[in-house]
Amino acid sequence: MWGVALTMGIASAGMAGPVAAAMQPLAWAPTALTPDQARLVDVVAELIMPATDTPGARQVGVPQFIDRALATYCDKAQAKLLRDGLTRMDADARSANGAIFVNLTAPQQIELLTRYDQEAAALRKQSPLAPPPHFFSALKELVTVGYFTSEPGATVALRYDPVPGAYHGCVPLSEIGRAWAT
Amino acid sequence: MANLNGRWRRENTYDAIVVGSGISGGWAAKELTQKGLKTLVLERGPMVRHLEDYPTATMDPWEAKYPQGKLPPEELKGHYPVQMRTGYAVTEYTKHFFVRDDENPYTEESRFDWIRGYHVGGRSLTWGRQTYRHSPIDFEANARDGVAVDWPIRYADLAPWYDYVERFIGVSGQNEGLAHLPDGQFQPPMEMNCVEKAFKSRAESRFPDRRITMGRAAHLTEPTEEQLSLGRSKCQHRNMCSRGCPFGAYFSSNSATLVAAERTSNLRMRPNSIVTSLIFDPAAGKASGVRVLDAETGEESEYYAKVIFLCASALNSAGIMLNSTSDRFPNGFGNGSDQLGRNVMDHHLNVGARAQVEGFDDKYYSGRRPNGIYVPRFRNLGDEGSARKDYMRGFGYQGGASRPSWNRDLGGEGFGAERKTALTQPGPWTMALGGFGEILPYADNRITLNHDVKDKYGQPTLKIKVSIRENEIAMRRDMKASAVELLEAAGFKNVQGADLGYAPGLGIHEMGTARMGRDPRTSVLNAHNQVHECTNVYVTDGAAMTSASCVNPSLTYMALTARACDHAVKAGKKGEL
Repeated sequence: MWGVALTMGIASAGMAGPVAAAMQPLAWAPTALTPDQARLVDVVAELIMPATDTPGARQVGVPQFIDRALATYCDKAQAKLLRDGLTRMDADARSANGAIFVNLTAPQQIELLTRYDQEAAALRKQSPLAPPPHFFSALKELVTVGYFTSEPGATVALRYDPVPGAYHGCVPLSEIGRAWAT
Repeated sequence: MANLNGRWRRENTYDAIVVGSGISGGWAAKELTQKGLKTLVLERGPMVRHLEDYPTATMDPWEAKYPQGKLPPEELKGHYPVQMRTGYAVTEYTKHFFVRDDENPYTEESRFDWIRGYHVGGRSLTWGRQTYRHSPIDFEANARDGVAVDWPIRYADLAPWYDYVERFIGVSGQNEGLAHLPDGQFQPPMEMNCVEKAFKSRAESRFPDRRITMGRAAHLTEPTEEQLSLGRSKCQHRNMCSRGCPFGAYFSSNSATLVAAERTSNLRMRPNSIVTSLIFDPAAGKASGVRVLDAETGEESEYYAKVIFLCASALNSAGIMLNSTSDRFPNGFGNGSDQLGRNVMDHHLNVGARAQVEGFDDKYYSGRRPNGIYVPRFRNLGDEGSARKDYMRGFGYQGGASRPSWNRDLGGEGFGAERKTALTQPGPWTMALGGFGEILPYADNRITLNHDVKDKYGQPTLKIKVSIRENEIAMRRDMKASAVELLEAAGFKNVQGADLGYAPGLGIHEMGTARMGRDPRTSVLNAHNQVHECTNVYVTDGAAMTSASCVNPSLTYMALTARACDHAVKAGKKGEL
């Protein structure tokens, strides 16, 4: 059922973690991202939504989804927020560890992302109703949407039923098992 | 029209003309054609054929062009600055069923969210499908309260037409035996979920005078032979209704009335036909037809008929009449009362409460129910117990309980496997109640023609000035407080009341601009929806409403339309038109 999306991420499938993946050439041609940005997005997306017992962001095509969103959906302000965020990630990686983000070790990468996540959380705490934008929140939102609206995300990680037929209002959660995709 | 010849006039002459093909126009088309009248339906927008013109109806989430099918902010701001105010209506999946605001200007003297679609079927494709009868107290309200003018009809006049319409369109719902929310011809109700059932039993035992019922919705749950024969079938609980239903399971002009009309062979549908004005024949003292502008070619033409039904939506029907001036009607067609364009009403909403619900974490649901629960009005019902000193009329709540899925808190804290796994499970139950309140008819809530701003066809546009007043503002305080009270009575947690603000129009229930009444000096239409001053013109959309009630109005437009068509055909046979 999700063959197409699986093959989209074929270049990195089976690789052991972000470093190995980053070494590979991209299996797709970005239109809005530069090749370097695309490699970075590829690694960060997988850190945000990693492969577990279900496919990860890379395998379901989230990096391509983000490239497409930047090309066709985001307005200038949001595109700038995301691009500046990617630039900052490499700058922070260099100053902390002397290498661009994709070449850091996994713990180093997670440490940086944790810092960004805390920054974003602080902004939300400051003004919960309208928090100032933070690139990591924006990126995480796109990764999450891209993941769960992909075919494997909707049908494997979640449950999806395009034509339910009946409505049953009170069912044991154990019978359904996962959240509905729609 | 100097070169108008006899043959051309004959070719453009019908028994009846219907202006508009939305929920009211569709009904006029069905009734008039089934009664044997050769009927021309003029629709200003393009054709939308049932099934074949629902391009997004079966799209899966991964087929979306944009994230979650949302339109890019620049497209929304550029083309849909008004339509986007609902926050939900215009998406990649539905944008072809909404007007582009940049092509359809109007002037907001005060903010007015005019949400609409110009195409065959109109808003019957995108409506909320909640279907309730106005009650006896609604038709008596103005007379009892000394507000505006009295309705020229009572509930008993419309009851058989409610029956008739409900049987045809198909309404799922629960009879409750309430005088202020009359029962109807219902197909089986949809099911409440576990939390809604608990809410019902707890809230009703705490407040015996309040009822919690399943939403009454125009969805087939047990289709009749007639509905099946039109190609309609049972609701599949996809909840993707506003893309158009591939099962014809919810009622729309496209899936039902226009199909029935087409089968009579008496229907001629002319899309892309903008009616700019009615033609008044002073010698006959009647309307002889309408002037039409072809939206594609810009060509002007005239069509003629013995009887004309205006069903172009409340604001546009009144707009056409205001634009139809003559020696007889210098201030607009049938506007001797000066009420045309006045008394704009809507339902005020965006106020209520929500809560978190504990104790049901092991329960979930399957299927996507395109419907919620309903709390019928419980204020000012005529008895002392329900009477309020701070406002008149009342409100109902629409609401429901659900568990948010993966899209809760999208940018929220955390990343990695733990967050991912958490999001694959449903979130905590929440329950919300949102009020729909009655707005009184105020003469200075009005639309006028604006000759300074023309649309792309060179036609005058509308100027709108509408606001809510003390009565509605006092009601909103109660709408919020009572919602909190109900959710607390059910024992739910973290109950939060909110008034998120309301701008007129946001209820998308515009009405009142050519009200019915008993006296031609104070109303535009009579008891049969005929223009007092020109009885071969009927107006049967929201414009006709004398008061608003607090229930969703479409069913009443349909019942008024069917009743008026019956009247028109009988009057025609008696030579009275």
